[in-house]
Amino acid sequence: MTTNTDHPSREVLERFLLAQLPASESRRVLRHLLAGCQDCQTNAGAAWKSTQPGAMSLPLDPALDARYDEVLDRVFQRVERVERVLARERSQARELLAALEPHPIQRQLLMLRNSAKFRSRALCEQLIEASQERGFKDPERALELADLAIEISRSLPEETHGADPPTQLESRAWAQSANAQRILGNHDGAERCFETAEELLAESQGVGIFDEARLYDLKASLRRDQRRWTEALELHDRVIGIYQCLGQRHLLGRAYAQKATVISEVGDFASSISLLRRALELLDPKEEPRMFLAARHNLIWALCESERYREAFALLFHTRPFYLQAGDRMNLLRMRWLEGQVAAGLGRSEQAEVAFLEVRRAFGELSLDFDGALVSLDLAVLLARQGRSTEVQRIAEEVLASFVARSIHREAIVAITLLKQAADQQRAEVDLVRQVSSFLRRSRSNPELAFERGSGLEVPPRAAS
Amino acid sequence: MIALDEIFIETSLETFLEEARPRLKIIFSRYRIPPDDTEDIVQQALLALLYRLGSVRDPQAWLIGTVKNKCLLYWRDQRRRLYDSVDSTVLEWIARPSSPEQEDDDVRRDLDAVIETLPNRCRALLSLRYGLGYEPPEVAARLGYSASSMSKITTRCIAMLTRQLLVAGLGRKKI
Repeated sequence: MTTNTDHPSREVLERFLLAQLPASESRRVLRHLLAGCQDCQTNAGAAWKSTQPGAMSLPLDPALDARYDEVLDRVFQRVERVERVLARERSQARELLAALEPHPIQRQLLMLRNSAKFRSRALCEQLIEASQERGFKDPERALELADLAIEISRSLPEETHGADPPTQLESRAWAQSANAQRILGNHDGAERCFETAEELLAESQGVGIFDEARLYDLKASLRRDQRRWTEALELHDRVIGIYQCLGQRHLLGRAYAQKATVISEVGDFASSISLLRRALELLDPKEEPRMFLAARHNLIWALCESERYREAFALLFHTRPFYLQAGDRMNLLRMRWLEGQVAAGLGRSEQAEVAFLEVRRAFGELSLDFDGALVSLDLAVLLARQGRSTEVQRIAEEVLASFVARSIHREAIVAITLLKQAADQQRAEVDLVRQVSSFLRRSRSNPELAFERGSGLEVPPRAAS
Repeated sequence: MIALDEIFIETSLETFLEEARPRLKIIFSRYRIPPDDTEDIVQQALLALLYRLGSVRDPQAWLIGTVKNKCLLYWRDQRRRLYDSVDSTVLEWIARPSSPEQEDDDVRRDLDAVIETLPNRCRALLSLRYGLGYEPPEVAARLGYSASSMSKITTRCIAMLTRQLLVAGLGRKKI
C-alpha cells in the first residue's frame, strides 16, 4: 500500500498509531517515516495529537452520541440484571453467615469444604467486611473470618456475572488477614500475608485502583507499626492519590488523618496539624463519627504538643459534644486528659491538677498502667513547675514501682529510674520530666527505643551523690 | 454524603445510571474512546461498583473517577502496542537477511539519525539494542542498570523514539 515514495493515507497512519496494521504494512509506514518524509510526519503528528485525551471538541457529534447511547443501553440492561442476581445472593449470604457463626473455626472450615452452597462470592465479601469490622475489637476472630474468606475465594469459579476475578477477592482476604495479624502483633505473619495479597492483585487483570488503595492503606498501618516511616508515608500518598482520582471525599479525609498520625510520630506537629485540618474538611461525621472524633482529638493533642493551647482550648470546647455522643468511658477519659493538658498550658494549674488526678484514678481502676503513668508524668510536669518537688519524687516512686511490678519494658524503667534519682536529689526539673514523658509516649509502640540521656539532662552518676 | 446501598434504596439503579449517562458520554468523547471499545470499560466499572456496595461512599464520583482511570489505561495499552510494534518492526528489519544491502544501509542510517536526536541515556540504550543487537540483560550490564528495571527503561526509550518519529519531526530531506 505504501512504498518509500508512496505516502500512506491518513487512515493508514491512524491505524499505524493504533497498532492495527499487519506487520509488513507497519514496517513500510515506519520505513517511510524513518526516511524523514515531512508531509507524512506532519500528518502523523496531527493524527497522534487527535488521539490524545481532551482533543475532542464539545458538543458531541450526534452520530457519535447515538453510538455511545447504543452501547450504554446494552450495558445498563446487563448491569440491572446482575444487580437483581446480586441482591438475591447477598440475602442468601447473610443466611449462610448466620448458619456458620455459632460453630468453632475448625467446624466452619469443614462446612465450607464439604458444602457447595458456601462457595459464594457474596459470602466471601461479607466475611471480609465482617473481619474488617472486628479489627481491633476482636482481632483473633477477625483473623479467623479472613481465613474463612481466603478458603472460599479459592473455591470460586473463574467468572461470576462479569465480576472481578476470584484472585482479586482472594487478595482482599489476604490483606484483611494481614491486618488482623498486624493488630495481634505478628508483623512477620502480616508481611507474608501482604506479599501474597500483592502477588494476587498483580495477577488479577484489569484490577481496580480502589482495591489497590485498600491494600496500600492496610499495609501503611503495618509500616507505621514497624516504624518504617518513609515507606508508610509513601503508601499513604499513593492511597491519597487514588481517592483523589476517585472523588472519594470521606475516604480521602480518612487517608489524610492516617498520614497525620505517622507524621506526628516523627514529631512534625506543624505538618500533622495541617493534614488533620484538611482531613476534617473532608470527613463526614455522620458517615464515621468515631473517625471524625479521632481526627479532632489528634488535632487538639497536636496543638497541645505545639504549645498552641488557645486554639486547642477552642477546638476542645467545640468537640465536647462529639465525645459525649461517643459516650464510652475511654473517650470521655481521653477528653478529660486533654482538658487537663490544655488547662496546664493555659496556666490554670488547679483545674489541670484536678483533671489529671481524676484521669489517673480512672486508669488505675481500669488497670491501664501505662496510660496512668503518662498522666502521672503530665501531673509531675505541673508540680515541678510549681516547685513541689516532694510530690514529683512520690510520683516517680509510684510509677517506677508500677513499671517494675508489671515488667514494663526495660528502657521505660531506665527512664523512670533516672527521673526518680533526680527527684530524690530535688533535681527533677520540668524539662527532664517532659523528656521522660515524651520518651514513654514514643516507646509505647517501640519497646526497643533507647532512652537518650542527652541534652545536659543526665542525672549525675551515683558516685557523685 | 450517603452510602451506595442507601442511594439504591432511595432512588433506583436505573435512575443512578441515567444520571451517569451524559457524564460518561462526555468522558468517552474527551478521551476519544471508540464506541465499540467503551462497552468493556463501562461494564467493568459498573460491575465493580455493584460488587463494592458497602465500601463506596460517593458512587457517582467513584464511577466517573474509575471510568476516567480506565480510559487512561486504555490509551496506555494502545500506546504500548504501538511502541511494541515500532520496536519489533525495527528489530525485524535489521535482522532480515534478505534485504538488499543498499536498503539496509539506508534504514540504519535513518534510524541512527533519529536516535541521535534523543537524550544521551536513550541514545546509548537504543544504539546497543538496534546497532549492535544487544539483548536486554547485556544492555543492563553494559549501562549499569538493574535487570528488573530494564523493561521499563527500554519502553521509555522506544516511546521517545516513536514520538520523535511522529510528533517532533526530523527536519531532514523531503522525499
